[in-house]
Order: sequence, then structure tokens, then C-alpha cells
Amino acid sequence: MENWRKSPIVFMFTLLPPALWLTAFFVLPLSLLWLFSFGEKSGITGIDITWTLANYARALEPLYLGIFLKSLWIAGATALICLIIGLPVALAISFASTRTRPWLLLLIILPFWTNLLIRTYALIATLRGNGHVNSVLGWLWKIFGAQFTPLEILYTDGAVVTGLVYVHLPFMVLPVYAALDRIDRSLIEASLDLGAGHVRTFFTIIAPLAMPGIVSGVIITFIPAFGAYLTPDLLGGPDSQMIANVIDRQFKAANDWPFGAALSFILLYAAFFGLAMRGLIGRRAVMGRAP
Amino acid sequence: MNRSEGISGLRSALSRRRFMQGATAMGLTITAMPKFARAAAEEKLLNFYNWDTYIGETTLGDFTKATGIEVKIDLFAENDELFAKLREGNPGYDVIVPTNNWIPRLAEAGMLEPLDHSLIPNIRHITPRFMTDSSFDPGRKYSLPYMWGTIGIGYRKSKFPEPPASLKWLYDSDKYSGRISLMSECDFLLGMALKYLGHSINSADAAQIAQAEALIIKQKPHIKSFAEDNGQDLLASGEVDLVMEWSGDIAQLMAEDPDIGYVLPAEGGALWEDTLAIPKGAPHPQNAHAFINFIHDPEVNVGITNTVQYATPNQSAAAMMDKAYTQNSAIFPPEALLIKSETITYFGEKAIALRQEACTRIFAA
Amino acid sequence: MKRFAKLTRRAPSGLLDYHRRWPLRLVMVATLIFLYAPVVALMAFSFNDSKRNIVWHGFTLKYYEKLFANTELMQAFANSLTIAFFSTLISVLLGTLAAIALWRFKFPGQRLYEGVMAMPIVIPEICMGIAMMAFMARTGWPQDLIWPLNLGAIMIAHVAFSFPFAAIVIRARLESFNRQLADAARDLGASEFHVFRDILFPHLSPALLAGGLLAFTLSLDDFVITFFTSGPNSVTFPVKIYSMVRFSVTPEVNAASTILIAMTIGLTAIGLRLHYRSQFQETAK
Repeated sequence: MENWRKSPIVFMFTLLPPALWLTAFFVLPLSLLWLFSFGEKSGITGIDITWTLANYARALEPLYLGIFLKSLWIAGATALICLIIGLPVALAISFASTRTRPWLLLLIILPFWTNLLIRTYALIATLRGNGHVNSVLGWLWKIFGAQFTPLEILYTDGAVVTGLVYVHLPFMVLPVYAALDRIDRSLIEASLDLGAGHVRTFFTIIAPLAMPGIVSGVIITFIPAFGAYLTPDLLGGPDSQMIANVIDRQFKAANDWPFGAALSFILLYAAFFGLAMRGLIGRRAVMGRAP
Repeated sequence: MNRSEGISGLRSALSRRRFMQGATAMGLTITAMPKFARAAAEEKLLNFYNWDTYIGETTLGDFTKATGIEVKIDLFAENDELFAKLREGNPGYDVIVPTNNWIPRLAEAGMLEPLDHSLIPNIRHITPRFMTDSSFDPGRKYSLPYMWGTIGIGYRKSKFPEPPASLKWLYDSDKYSGRISLMSECDFLLGMALKYLGHSINSADAAQIAQAEALIIKQKPHIKSFAEDNGQDLLASGEVDLVMEWSGDIAQLMAEDPDIGYVLPAEGGALWEDTLAIPKGAPHPQNAHAFINFIHDPEVNVGITNTVQYATPNQSAAAMMDKAYTQNSAIFPPEALLIKSETITYFGEKAIALRQEACTRIFAA
Repeated sequence: MKRFAKLTRRAPSGLLDYHRRWPLRLVMVATLIFLYAPVVALMAFSFNDSKRNIVWHGFTLKYYEKLFANTELMQAFANSLTIAFFSTLISVLLGTLAAIALWRFKFPGQRLYEGVMAMPIVIPEICMGIAMMAFMARTGWPQDLIWPLNLGAIMIAHVAFSFPFAAIVIRARLESFNRQLADAARDLGASEFHVFRDILFPHLSPALLAGGLLAFTLSLDDFVITFFTSGPNSVTFPVKIYSMVRFSVTPEVNAASTILIAMTIGLTAIGLRLHYRSQFQETAK
């Protein structure tokens, strides 16, 4: 990496446009929102920036903390399930032949490139009372001559987690695959030669070496799931509201922008915390690895 | 400082200021010019912000044919969505369709243009009570009625020996557990609960609201979903058998599926009126007035009403509708129940905040 | 000895051939079914001759006809494509510049810059949507612009959250670039521009393509941010579908979705084809 002073013109040319864009169209709007979070409603549409902490205090009330916790647990469940499914899939892909590997990767990523709304809508048709899952199960049950009552899958927390897993699985598979790809195969061979079983090799050799990728995947899955809005909105039941839905309501029905801004920023800080953790763990893992 | 320096200094200061003034004036003129040109002769365009499928199939095309003005329609799904969009300044809409309880709020926030009734001669076709009896918009300064209706109970006839004409089945009974859907719109969710408990739908009393909140939380295990304007869809697909919904949504469904029924609960339902209004800063106010006038042309109104299946406030149009419509009890409920029903109103910012927090608690419980 | 015996079995399953082992294969297949079944069902039902999407009644193309006759939907679709196109162009441009700056130079505030670039990726969409809406309104963004300029607000918002993604992809590709090639060229008298055009750009092109594809789909797909930054006549495809889904679910929505999926897959296929062709050409050299 050269010092910027060596070619200042090139440096400015490459640094400034993106920096200016980010500042004008990202940092500034967010700063405005940040200012709102210290404001109070005045009248119907006015906001006075009084530097009050009342909005943040209100955001930490039990009602809203409870909703944060609920979102945490749904996001956590999503990340966990993605890990349980994603890890074997990533393993399978990384040890596949070099010819099939890109195709498998493509197959996993492709759903990610379809519209989120469409995917969620497809899930609604699949999970509802007379949706596909129930149709298939009902048909199976009929073959065995048993009485079938449709499963109530949709409009529950379970449906939300399913939807979130459905949407975020590629986010887990990719980083884990990237990490597995970098592992020196001879280490695994050595372990197997020395008599360790496959499972033991997995837990003592593969997993620790792939840990940065696993952590990356978990965090990249967790953060968007935490701030999810559409999925709980469309698939959730009467008590499946997550923090993003509450934020949305503050900006619309409740017309309380300062409070909505405060909630948004708490969500943002939580996301940053997650990222910082990822950076920390990643660095520690790199440093801890044998040279 | 000697005189000449002073004068030259002054001169340069003046010229600097004049330059700034000139530049500003030029800048302002450039940005204002399109608007100025438009005010002189409005371009043939109208931006209409409306609910989904809430206009006749050919209405917009007919308007263009009659006046040469092209109509572009944008959609919103909830009143608060409309409000949030317009709050920070009108993005360019000419005609909007807010529900009546939002008119006082919009007016107070200075977001509406007063209507010029002289540009809307078709007002004479509107049923008089809508022009004189509107507490939310005295003298109809800011709005005119578009469609009115009720909020009541939609149900699947084959599952009920007799119509479930009581809010009890929605709010206070486990008889139809898991087959119920309520509206997620807070105003009505709490409002109907309050009605069931014998209070006013528009109550701002904290104790009464808390009571309604407790009732709904108790009923939650039996509720399948808090539907956001798609309750009729849940009913149609068989997910639920009992929904709280807008009258016209269910009426549209009834036209397709004879197994669907609609009834106003014995305790009374909610009455509402959707209105036509012109937001402040509308770029084409003349066209907007022309459009509103067009909608209340009796024949045009018949076309709209036939599609949306809500109750029209236009008496001339109603007189031209067929019996299937005028005798449809979903669209025109019996007088006795109408009297018990209450019109939803604007309850003020404090009460809104109170009720919204109650709803957040309900959804979180 | 044991290993030799294993090797001589009918299909020599190597030690590391995890992909051959049935538990992993099962998980792989089950996952693929889980991922694809709902979408495939969705596409299949777009041909269903029934207004309510429940039972299969018969094959028909009439919902596709209705779709193409639905001018609002077509307009929304055109809007989405336009926005995605311009957003992609600018995103790739800005992403390349940012990636080069971060890769090549050491400068004070580098960490901060990286941090701020990472923010659009993490930030919950609703925060960004609201922030942009409030910002555009308070700074008096001109409202009455002709098409396609009226889509400008949405395009700007899309670029803001897309280009960091593109930058990441391009940066990853830069890591594998041999700096010495550029140095040699410069030694031989090439200007910066020539170095970029003749050496760096060809190396980067797969990443530019991948980044562009990513930015394109992010823009096409976006709902929340677009929803808050759109004004009159700037309804986009996902926003229109959202209002259709909320009101009444007809096979028309399925048809619209199928077309969008087909488009996305088509574009991806083309992109990947080009990418792999360039890869093969490079390894063949």
C-alpha cells in the first residue's frame, strides 16, 4: 500500500466521489434522523430538537425492551437453524468436484437473487391452511386412511423463523464455504490417517479452522434477521411483531418520529456491536492461528 | 478612510450584493419557471393518490377522453401511509382519498387546500346530509364525500347456522378459536373493542382504553391474525371464518362467492366516510377540481360504484343503481343498526399516542 | 491396508469425498428442495386457471395476458428497470473508485472510511428509508420532474446502499492483482489512465460484472427504501406487487413474479457465462 501523498491526484480522484456520495446521501440523512431522536413532537408535524433523552429512555422501557428481546431470539433462532443447515451444505459444496462446485454454489445463491417479496409470498402459498405443505400432508394422510387436520403453520412465530431462514440461508453458506475452501486439506488427511473418526476430525480440525467463516456467516445472518420488517409483517401471527415493525408504526400510524428515530438508532447500535464483535473475533482467530 | 475609497468600497459592495441578488433571482426564476408557466395554463396532467382498486375500471380513461387530462394513479394501503408521505411536503399529488377521521388532522397540520365549490357544480347530486352533517369538516371546506361504509363482520355462511351478529364472537369468546381475524388498524381494533364494552368508539379515556386492551390481550390466543387490509383474502381462502372488515371488501367478495356474508354487529359497527381532498401544494389544482367534479357526475359515479361496491353518497347515482345494489344489506345496512353505529372521528394527538401504545402492547403480549 | 481395501471398492470413495456421503447429500438435496419448492410452485400456479390460488383447475396463459395489459404494472416494471440500470452504472463506478482507493492507498481515516462504507450494508432498511425521505423533504428536493428524472431520488438512494456491496466484490478481486504489473507499466512510461485501462480494468472485469449484477438485483429487489423515497408516478415493481399482495392474491401476481424470476435468472446466467469464459481464457493463457 502506498502512501497517498505519492499520487495525490489519483488518490483524490478515487476517494472523493464515493466519499461525497456517502456523505451527502447517507451520512447526512442519517444525521438528520439522529437529530430527530433527540427531539420532541411539536404540533402535528413539527419536530423540535430539544436534545432530550426522553425518547431513548422510553425505548428502554420494559415494553420495548421486551420487543427487542423477542427480535433477538427470533434472529438467534434463525441464525442457529441457518448454521445447522448451512454448515453441512457448505461442507458438501467445498468437497465437491471442481466441476460441480460452481453449479452447486449457483443453485444455492440463485434464490437470493429473486425478489424478497415474491419469495415471502411464495412461502405464504406454501404454508397456509390449504397451502402446498398441507395439501401434500393431507394427501399422504389420506393414503394411510387417517383423518387429517391441516397444520396451522402460517401466522405464527415459527412461520417467521422459517421465512427468515428461507431468505438468509445463502448468507450463511457463502462465508462458511469460503472459509472451508481455504483449509489445507492435508491437515484433514493427516487427522484421518492418525485414526480420528470423521466426526472427531470435524469438531477438532475443520470447525476451528473454519471458525472465522462460521462467525462471519452467523453475524451476517443475524443482523438482517434482527432488523427484518417484511417477513414478520406478512408471515407473522398476532404476537410476532419485531422491532422493525414497531419502528415502522412510529413513523406511520403513531406519527411519533422522534421516538421512531431513537428506536432505529438503538437497532443500528446493536448491529454495529455485532459487526464489531465479528471484527474482533476474526482478528483474534487470525492471530491465534499457528504460523 | 478617505471619500473616494469609501465610495469605491461602497460601489464594489453594492455590485457584489447586486451580483448575489441577480444570481439568486436567476436561480429562483429557473426553478420557479416551470411552476410559473404551469400556473398560467395547467398542463394536462393529474396525480391521483388512491387506495388500491378503489376507482371504476374505466373512470380514469373516461376522464381523459372528456377533458384531455392524463391521470396518473399511485396507491397507498393505509391512511397513516398517506399521512407519512405527505407530512414532509407534498411530493406532487393533486387529489387524495383520506378517510374522514384524518381530515381534521390534515387540516390542522395545514396540509390541505380549501376546495372551491364553485368549480364543483356536481355537488348538487350529493345527498344533503353529507354536506350539512359533517362534524369533521364543517361546511365541507376541505373535502367532499367519496364513498361511505361500515366496518362489521364478514363470515362464511356455511359455518354459521345464523349470522354471527355480535362483537362477542370476535372479542370475547373461544367458540371460533383460531378462525378469527381482526383488523390491525389500531383505530378500529381498539374502537370496536370499546364499542363491545359499551363505550364510545372514539374514547380518549385512558381507563377505558386499558380495559379494551386487556380484553383483546385475553382474546389473543383465539385470534389467528391481525390482518392488514387483507382480511377478506383470509376469509376467501378459508384461513378464517370470521373477520372484522370494511363493508365494501366483503361486498366485492360476496359478488364472487355466495357463501360469504356480511353483518353489522348488534352492538353497532363503525361508520366511516372516505373523502376526496386536495393536498396543499398540489401542482394542478384546476385539474383536481375538475376531476372531483367528474367523479360526482351521476353516470360516472354509477360506474365507480358498480366496481367498488361501497355505498355512494351521490343520491342521483344511487337512484340509477339496480336493486341488487340498493338492497344489498352489506352495502346499505338496516336503519336500526346504522343508528347504533358510530362514526369514527379524529381524537387528537394525545389520544392517538395513548391508543397506539396500547396497540403496541397488544401486539407484543 | 484398510485404506487400500476402501480404495478398491466399486466406487472409490476418497477420504475427503464428503460430498459422496449420504448424510451430506441428503442435507444438500433437502435444502435445495426447501429453497426451490415454494418458488417453483409459485411459478406453476401462474398458469392455473382459477382466480383463487388454491386448487389446480387447468392450464391457461390468460393471467399473463392480463399482466401485459395491466399498464400500471408495466409502468412500474419499466420504472424498476430504469432505476436499476442507472443505479447499477453509478454503483459500479463508485464502487470501483472506492475499492481502488482502499486497496492502493494508505491514508489517515482509512478505518473510518471503511466503517462508513460498511454501514449501508448493516443498517436496517427502514432506518435508511425514513432518513432519506425526511432528508429529501427537508432539503426541498424538486418534485415535479419529468420521467426519468423523477426517479432520481430513488436512484440516489439505491446507489447509496448498493455501491458498498459492489466495492466489496471489486476489492476482493483487487487482492489478487499483481501490483508489479502496474509498477512495470508505469516504469515503462504509461500514464495512470493507461495503466487502469489496459492492465487493471481487464483484471477487474469479472468483479465489475459480479458487482454490477449484485447492484442490479439489489436495486430491482428493493422494497422498503423505495417505498419511502418514491413520489407520484414512480411506483416500482415491488411496491406495486406489495399492494397487490395485500389486497387480493390472484394468479396475476404469480405471473408477474415468474417473469421477474425468469429475468433475474436469465441475467445471472449471462453474467456467469461471461465470467467463466473470462476465467477460462485467463487460465488458458
